[in-house]
Amino acid sequence: MELVCLGLSHQTAPLSVREKLAMPQERQAEVLQRISGAGMEVLLISTCNRVEFYAVSRSLEEVRAALRAEIARVAGEEALGHLYEHAGEGALVHLFRVASSLDSMVLGEQQILGQVKDSLELAQKIGAARGEVIRACSAAFSTAKRVRSETAIGRAAVSMASAAVELAQKLFGTLKARSVLVVGAGEIAELAARHFASAGGRIAVTNRTFSRAEALAAEVGGVASPFEQMGELLVATDVVVTCTASPAPIFEKGNVGAVLKPRKHRPLFFVDLAVPRDVAPEVGSLAGVYAYDVDDLQKVVAENTAARASEAARAEVIVAEEVARFVTARAQRNGVPVVATLRKHAERIAKNEVERTLSHFGAELTEKQRKSVEAMGMAIVNKLLHEPTARLRASGAEDGRLAGAAAELFGLEEVAEAPAPPEAPQAALAAGGAKS
Amino acid sequence: MVHALHSLATHAYGAAAVVYLVYLVRQWSPLPLVGRLLVALGAVLHGVGLGLLVLHQGGLPVGMAQAFSALAFLLVLIFLGLDVRYRLPVLGAFLTPFALAVLVPGFLLPSAGGLRDSLRRPLLPVHVSVALIGLAAFGAAAGIAVMYLLLERQMKGKRFGVLFSRIPSLQLLDDLNRRLVIGGFIALSLTVITGAFFVGGASYLEWQPKQVTTLVAWLVFGVLLGARAFAGWNGRRVAVLTMAGFCILVVSFLTAFDPLGGGGLH
Repeated sequence: MELVCLGLSHQTAPLSVREKLAMPQERQAEVLQRISGAGMEVLLISTCNRVEFYAVSRSLEEVRAALRAEIARVAGEEALGHLYEHAGEGALVHLFRVASSLDSMVLGEQQILGQVKDSLELAQKIGAARGEVIRACSAAFSTAKRVRSETAIGRAAVSMASAAVELAQKLFGTLKARSVLVVGAGEIAELAARHFASAGGRIAVTNRTFSRAEALAAEVGGVASPFEQMGELLVATDVVVTCTASPAPIFEKGNVGAVLKPRKHRPLFFVDLAVPRDVAPEVGSLAGVYAYDVDDLQKVVAENTAARASEAARAEVIVAEEVARFVTARAQRNGVPVVATLRKHAERIAKNEVERTLSHFGAELTEKQRKSVEAMGMAIVNKLLHEPTARLRASGAEDGRLAGAAAELFGLEEVAEAPAPPEAPQAALAAGGAKS
Repeated sequence: MVHALHSLATHAYGAAAVVYLVYLVRQWSPLPLVGRLLVALGAVLHGVGLGLLVLHQGGLPVGMAQAFSALAFLLVLIFLGLDVRYRLPVLGAFLTPFALAVLVPGFLLPSAGGLRDSLRRPLLPVHVSVALIGLAAFGAAAGIAVMYLLLERQMKGKRFGVLFSRIPSLQLLDDLNRRLVIGGFIALSLTVITGAFFVGGASYLEWQPKQVTTLVAWLVFGVLLGARAFAGWNGRRVAVLTMAGFCILVVSFLTAFDPLGGGGLH
């Protein structure tokens, strides 16, 4: 029952691959429903920068095959070449690092934690995440919280949005009284809008659903404009921040090129935070037009990332501590029920055999003799289980592998499925055994 | 004495240029201040030297060597003004080597030759002064245009080099270009007008090479300013035009010296 992580991120796959695998929530729900099921828990984290499956299953091979098949189905065989895989403790470390924003494109950015939380919420709603995945996630969340409060990595964090503001300032100098058009009304768009607003930009929000544009405009202190007036909006604005779920680019060389003259060739800055991209790559080749997508923004923050290396190193220590703590807790959780179930299992066999033997004798045996036979059965169980029990309890502090092996070896199915309370009630015969 | 001052000033500029070039590679915080102090020191020595020269000659220097020296001095003054006003030490990496490149060849040229009597007119010092001021302003504008084009290419190509973190914004460079070109254009216009008075009469335009090139440069900058004001031209296009106009002007400036007249002006 190991956690497995299979996925790709900005570190292994270019945007062109990631955007094929990135899915809106409804698609994510479908995928989760399809691959989760009896004996398999799944979590799917899908952001601009990563698409990762976390799964818990009895068989590593089975889960690997299922996930690879799913990834190939969604993004094509090509995506498989960009995959990385972590299993067991490695997967935990990865999950904790992701939630703590140590694996983010912008080191220490704060959006990822919310995105992982959303992913878990979705998986829980569907029933794809049940026991182990939920526990791993909540441990990841508390790790992220520790990292944020105990290191400076979260402070003065450079998010994708603030990197975009920095670039706009490089172009326009101050953003005071510059017009910023926000296209889309999602969370990322909102965050970017707030960054630009606090830098002094005048915000206009547009969205295909006008009411959502109005809501966001009210939130960030801007004005809402109808999506249909995009042409006029483009003429008036200096910066376009776009993050919509549109499958095809909204801004292309044609429609952007047409506004250059009415704009009197004032510089136009596109910040494309959407995956798949909202701004066609050729737009950036127009004179006076600067178009940055999520990959480009990474370059801007590369320097800041280097400056935070020491903070990240401290955060890695926290992650290691938390992973160790989680593994220990899990082992204890898993180890104890295995001991109890193993004992219950053995006691049941002993009890049945004793009863069978006694039934042959009928009334021939005295009460004392019957007790002796029962005690012998229990004694055999105790002697036989003494060493395994001690070893299972001892190994509980390190990892759950021995417990898993014991469960596997003795066919203790129900332990793995639903962890029993720490101390299972002893079988009736135990009392007799204790006397011997 | 004058020579010694010039030599000291040149060394100060040279040291400043090295400081600014190091600053391009290493962003040590004291470098901009050290560079500015060196340039200021050089400018003071240079200014005193030029002043003594004017006193000594009893008029504005008109030889090629002196003109080069005065041009370098003006460039340095413009740089100091911009650096103090806008904190633009990176400009030093462009303008101090530029000033040096103008100053050093001046030493190798012969000193002022005799001036033809026909040119000894009261307007000559004004003509020479505005010509040099205009040239320096356009020179600074051209230096800033180079910076603009380099940074613009980085912004477009998304490959950020040393200039990226050292230039406040493209907008600022564009603004500076506009101001310097306006200033230069005014000075150039005055140069043309005062130049016309020398010759006087209907035949003032003799279609000499220097007159033609100057007029072409004047037209280029005039079109540039007009396009900026009315067609919204800016940025890259303006930067390229600025550099082109400056190159034409340099040719005009060089042809203003009569090579046969021992380096004398006109």
